[in-house]
Amino acid sequence: MSKIIGAVEIGTSQAKALVGEVGEDGSLNVVGMASRPNEGMRKGEIVDFRKAAAAVHAALEEAEKMSGTTVDSVYLAQTGAHLDGQMLRGSAFVASSDNRVAVDDLQRAESEAKRRQPETGRSYVHHVRTPIVLDEKVVEDPVGLIGKKIDVGYWSIDGDDQAIRSALHVISNYSLEVDDLILSSIASATMVAGPDLRRAGSLVIDLGAGVTDLVLYHQGYVAYTGVIPVGGDHVTGDLSMGLRILEPYAEKLKIEHGKASPDPSDDEEDVWIIGNKTIGDRSVSRKAISDVIHVRVVELFEIIRKELGSLLDANELKGGILLTGGGSQMPGIEQVAGKVLGLPVRKAGFPPGIEPELAQPENATVLGLLHYGLQDHSLPGQKKDQEQTGFLEKLAHTFGIG
Amino acid sequence: MTQDNFLDQDTVFSKTNETPGIRAKIIGVGGAGLSLVDGLRLDNFQSVEQLAVDVDSRALSECIASEKLAIGRRHTRGMGTGGDFALARKAAEEEKDSIRKKLDGMDVVFLLAGLGGGTGGGAVSVIARLAREAGALVFAFCPLPFSWEKGRHAQAEDCMTELRKFANAVVPLPNDSLLQIGGADATALECFAEAGRNVSKGISAICSLIFRKGMIDVDFVHLRKAFYRRAGRTLFGYGEGEGEDAIRHALRELMLCPMLHLPEVSKAADALLILITGGTGMGMSALQQAALEIREEFKAGDHVVFGAHVDENMGNRVQIIVLGATDLEAGVKADVAPVADQVIMAKPKSKQSHASKLKSKPIADSTTKGSKKTRTGKKDQVDQNTFEFMEEQNQRGIFDDLSSRNLYEGEDLDVPAYLRRGVKIAV
Ligand SMILES: Nc1ncnc2c1ncn2[C@@H]1O[C@H](COP(=O)(O)OP(=O)(O)OP(=O)(O)O)[C@@H](O)[C@H]1O
Ligand SMILES: Nc1nc2c(ncn2[C@@H]2O[C@H](COP(=O)(O)OP(=O)(O)O)[C@@H](O)[C@H]2O)c(=O)[nH]1
Ligand SMILES: [Mg+2]
Ligand SMILES: [Mg+2]
Repeated sequence: MSKIIGAVEIGTSQAKALVGEVGEDGSLNVVGMASRPNEGMRKGEIVDFRKAAAAVHAALEEAEKMSGTTVDSVYLAQTGAHLDGQMLRGSAFVASSDNRVAVDDLQRAESEAKRRQPETGRSYVHHVRTPIVLDEKVVEDPVGLIGKKIDVGYWSIDGDDQAIRSALHVISNYSLEVDDLILSSIASATMVAGPDLRRAGSLVIDLGAGVTDLVLYHQGYVAYTGVIPVGGDHVTGDLSMGLRILEPYAEKLKIEHGKASPDPSDDEEDVWIIGNKTIGDRSVSRKAISDVIHVRVVELFEIIRKELGSLLDANELKGGILLTGGGSQMPGIEQVAGKVLGLPVRKAGFPPGIEPELAQPENATVLGLLHYGLQDHSLPGQKKDQEQTGFLEKLAHTFGIG
Repeated sequence: MTQDNFLDQDTVFSKTNETPGIRAKIIGVGGAGLSLVDGLRLDNFQSVEQLAVDVDSRALSECIASEKLAIGRRHTRGMGTGGDFALARKAAEEEKDSIRKKLDGMDVVFLLAGLGGGTGGGAVSVIARLAREAGALVFAFCPLPFSWEKGRHAQAEDCMTELRKFANAVVPLPNDSLLQIGGADATALECFAEAGRNVSKGISAICSLIFRKGMIDVDFVHLRKAFYRRAGRTLFGYGEGEGEDAIRHALRELMLCPMLHLPEVSKAADALLILITGGTGMGMSALQQAALEIREEFKAGDHVVFGAHVDENMGNRVQIIVLGATDLEAGVKADVAPVADQVIMAKPKSKQSHASKLKSKPIADSTTKGSKKTRTGKKDQVDQNTFEFMEEQNQRGIFDDLSSRNLYEGEDLDVPAYLRRGVKIAV
């Protein structure tokens, strides 16, 4: 029998909901998808609960209608500058006398790694497993191998309770459960950077409306994630102020005429702001538009460069740097990024099999949620879901849900 | 109350002449304040006194103000404060009595001070307090440090908060933005000078309202009432037009005024002062229409002060000045997740991960932000939909929330990058 699953990204510009059908063979088929403008959010965080909830609920309703079915639970994307990631490590000595690694050894290493609790008022939203090391050698599955010491690592992201709670409430208010919280950047990367690229080492940058999500993979595993509280809304805000126009016009100008760098060829050419040349309409130069945008995007990539520091290493990033998210559609943005980061940057594509109308950069996160959610991220020998269920139950309890 | 009936008032064409009895004083404090005083163009208002206050006696001696007051001599022997605003604050407190004497009998006090400066930032709030105590209405125009003056921001913000406790309106003049107002090749000094002229316009407008008789009159009581509460954010803008459609052009220029398009500037006003000055040909109906539009644009509440003045020297030119203030203390509504919200209230401390300069910050308390009062005005039937859409969007203002700063390496990332980097945008 097939199974229905759902995914939600409460994006700063659009709430996006997706309904997928998992066939008996494990194949995933998207059967419903909808987006709704979200006015309840700034920089990836909910500032107006009712508006955010209304947008998410409308998107879910539409996606369900389209699919002709209903979902019981969803994978939920997490972003926002309140998130903070660090590597947690744990180790365990192999217990059995014959030095053969057992599932139990792994689990002891895991509990040790996850022993550290976040500060009061914060909770973990996502533990991402990194390689298992048996006596200093990376192994896929150590169970049954001979060795002395197991090391496991988790890139663990914790966040502010109030922010997490608001997001969870948006879903529980629609009488849905949350299957799992997944970092937005990781969801996007799952979609646009395949296993080969991740193994070769790559950096995925999701340029959203409110925030820019980053994830860096070394040898197939997450080595770093980050959220920069700057996105397309900042570009729009800068244009609104710089050209002295209302934000909706600034957004329209950005999408229709925006370029990441001034283009000498449109030198003195002007464009109309409203476009109907009525009273109240006026023209601005293309150069003014791209000047405003350029300073902002250069600054954004400079911040990324500073944040990554020595992680930005050509030898470790043979898979390259990929841009996705709605903001990656800005013409010329990959060149600006490449110049600032000093490494080749390209716009990310989607793997074959994703329908063209879905394969848009804004959808990378929500599509990736389903794909990531379906994969098994547990430790060898552990039942999938085992760890997540416990963790979500605890969160739900903390937040008085369920 | 308001001039609710301002549009129905009888048209009184009268020659300008001064209203006796009301006294105003302009006080420059510290280097930036003194240079603003030097740049003022207030030829029409001889009766407005000017006072320079500084710790730095050399700066004081070079200023053209008619009255001067040196403070803090005991501490610095006439040298500057070296940026120490606590010292300047103390010096001003010690000099309270002489400052009070200078404020005696003033109805309106204009304060000009760079809040990033030691003297300006430190002394200005003390003077504001003394001026309020003396019964004056206090308007302050305050340059704020350039983005690159990193060491000065925290202080400027502190001083602003302190000043807002006492002044009726504080108009921020961020130096980053002043760079945008000059032409493409203007130097910083030329931009400062231009900013000085704009401050003159603001001061002149207020002075015109209280000292002159006009076509539509405002008396001091109105002004006082409108700006009675202490103000939060302000807006200040101007526009000029010429020719047949002078008012239209002036309105258009007003809406584009760079001073209205700054991160610190409010988009709505609880108290709004509008002054329109034009030549003898200025028509009453055009005036009324302009006033309506301005009122609507700034979603002005009940406290609107509207004045119109005829000045023969204006010929076929029209000038519009607006000054508005929002009361931060009013109209803030709670907006939190409705369920089980009391579970966790502890605010996490910010903490750092590896070398990141992106601190995970506590979520600003959602009860203190957002949800501005929504005001509805009369709307043009034809464009109702667009208008509503625009209004909604307008309020969403991406940089509207100043309660939390988006700091990275000492800069607020929510402030437009071109402003912080000093990149001039030709509009
Ligand atoms: N052609 C385009 N050029 C430039 N920017 C664009 C273009 N199309 C969309 N955008 C921008 O992309 C952003 C929306 O992207 P996306 O849907 O990925 O963000 P989101 O998920 O809603 O926000 P976030 O992830 O930050 O919470 C908006 O800021 C929009 O202006
Ligand atoms: N707009 C403007 N800002 C100034 C001027 N002079 C200095 N500033 C700014 O004011 C601050 C320094 O204050 P200043 O008045 O020189 O120091 P003070 O004498 O100790 O108050 C800095 O942030 C400068 O950028 C000026 O003439 N105009
Ligand atoms: Mg997104
Ligand atoms: Mg000085």
